[in-house]
Amino acid sequence: MNTQRILALLKMELYKIIREPAYLFLMLLFPAVLTITFGFAFGDPELGMSFNFMAPGLFSYACIFIIMTVAQSFADFREQGLLKRLNTTPMSSTDFMASNILSNMILSMLQVVIVYVLALLFGFNSNSDIVGILFAFLLMALFSLSSVGLGLITASISKSAGTATGLSFIFILPQMFFGTFIPITSTTRVIAVFLPSYYATDALTSIFGGANLLSANILIDFAFIAIFSIVIVILGILIFKKYGNK
Amino acid sequence: MIKDYGSDKKMSTKIKPYEKPENIINPNSEFSIEVQNLRKVFRGKKGYDDVIAVEDVSFKVKPGELFGFLGPNGAGKTTTINMLIGLEKPTSGTAIVNGYDVYDGLSHIKELIGVCPQEPSVFKFLTGIENIELFGKLHLMKKAEITDKTNKLLEILDLSKASRRKTKGYSGGMLRQLNMIISLIHDPKIAFLDEPTVGMDPRARRGTWEFIGSLKTKNKTIFLTTHYIEEAEVLCDRVAIIDYGKLIEIGAPQDLIKKYEVKNLEEVFMKITGRKIMEGV
Repeated sequence: MNTQRILALLKMELYKIIREPAYLFLMLLFPAVLTITFGFAFGDPELGMSFNFMAPGLFSYACIFIIMTVAQSFADFREQGLLKRLNTTPMSSTDFMASNILSNMILSMLQVVIVYVLALLFGFNSNSDIVGILFAFLLMALFSLSSVGLGLITASISKSAGTATGLSFIFILPQMFFGTFIPITSTTRVIAVFLPSYYATDALTSIFGGANLLSANILIDFAFIAIFSIVIVILGILIFKKYGNK
Repeated sequence: MIKDYGSDKKMSTKIKPYEKPENIINPNSEFSIEVQNLRKVFRGKKGYDDVIAVEDVSFKVKPGELFGFLGPNGAGKTTTINMLIGLEKPTSGTAIVNGYDVYDGLSHIKELIGVCPQEPSVFKFLTGIENIELFGKLHLMKKAEITDKTNKLLEILDLSKASRRKTKGYSGGMLRQLNMIISLIHDPKIAFLDEPTVGMDPRARRGTWEFIGSLKTKNKTIFLTTHYIEEAEVLCDRVAIIDYGKLIEIGAPQDLIKKYEVKNLEEVFMKITGRKIMEGV
């Protein structure tokens, strides 16, 4: 692993987000649009729904969309022969993956900041102190790892960037319906416990609700997110190296 | 013709595994590239037969030599390059680049080579200079060194004006020039140029020939694939002619022309195969 190479690739990844309108929208504007839309749609007490209840799910939802951008980006690089070209340089696959993971973690942080600020504007009440909020950010960064992994798996099984966009919903939709802002019932919980977003949303709900960060509930959620994320990202890297990097 | 797939299927199941040469690391190797009985068979998907892309190809390239790999489209030129630069694994035979085996010494090989792919592969959201800088940094070059070399190469290849624009707006010819600069920015010992002038206008092609020719004076080994007869004749010290995956002739262009008592390499190819190179496979 080489720092100069990782930083060079990281810079390239960040330029891609800033300069490609589609990526810019999906990564930064989409979470904002989503929060504003949901803020207006469900922030009205007449509906009997509380924005405070939904907000933690919105954080997770924003991070889930990394699956689509990672899958699109890798499939796009492959289509354009860029992965092959990078493979002819002394760069290792670890350098490449590390830069991708870092860039997506940075973006997930930005997404959380955007959603958090907008949620506050819509009257979101967080009972957490600054340490709790920072912990929530750390949790989202960790959770974004699983999205990178699922994005890599999607890119590996997709023949083109267009297919990757469609296929990414295989991983996005279950996590969205069973682990974000949509209420979980005893029936849907059976599925939800197998999804990292369920634990991310559950942890955020506890943190923003003012629970002790060392409470069993938060620590168990954290452990599940860590295990899910590390296993999925390793699996994603291995599958991509074997099938997706050609 | 190699498309005798019926027998290939049986044959491919008996392919000998890649033979690792004993001296996998020999930095004092007399040759820049040594290829012995190199073979590449692409396994056919279910219901389809195997395709032999490269069949028992052997050749050696000396340091500082400009070696041309001449053949029609689909003859196996790019597959051969891909095996030498580690993008494809050989099915059998041996391939050594600067003393390093392509299997075990790939990480060493990647530090020594520059690869100019047939299709220009550049990041479209980056400017020309940013693309060059990225690849320079991947080769662990210092920023000042990258800037210095970039400026020189941009000037030589007449790309200075466009270099600060995003490559999304580049013409095909400009992308090819940038493609070549990226492959040479780190001053590689061995350059693999895969059809570098395809799609260029005659003026740009001449300019690129001059530039490739100038690399010879810097004692670089250049492995150039082309299907342009004139390009091979003007530039190459030696050419290997490949057709349907098989190496059919090798030698200095003038020697081959003399040997076959013809006027140019096109006629050499025609005399051996009965077809024109540009007719393709």
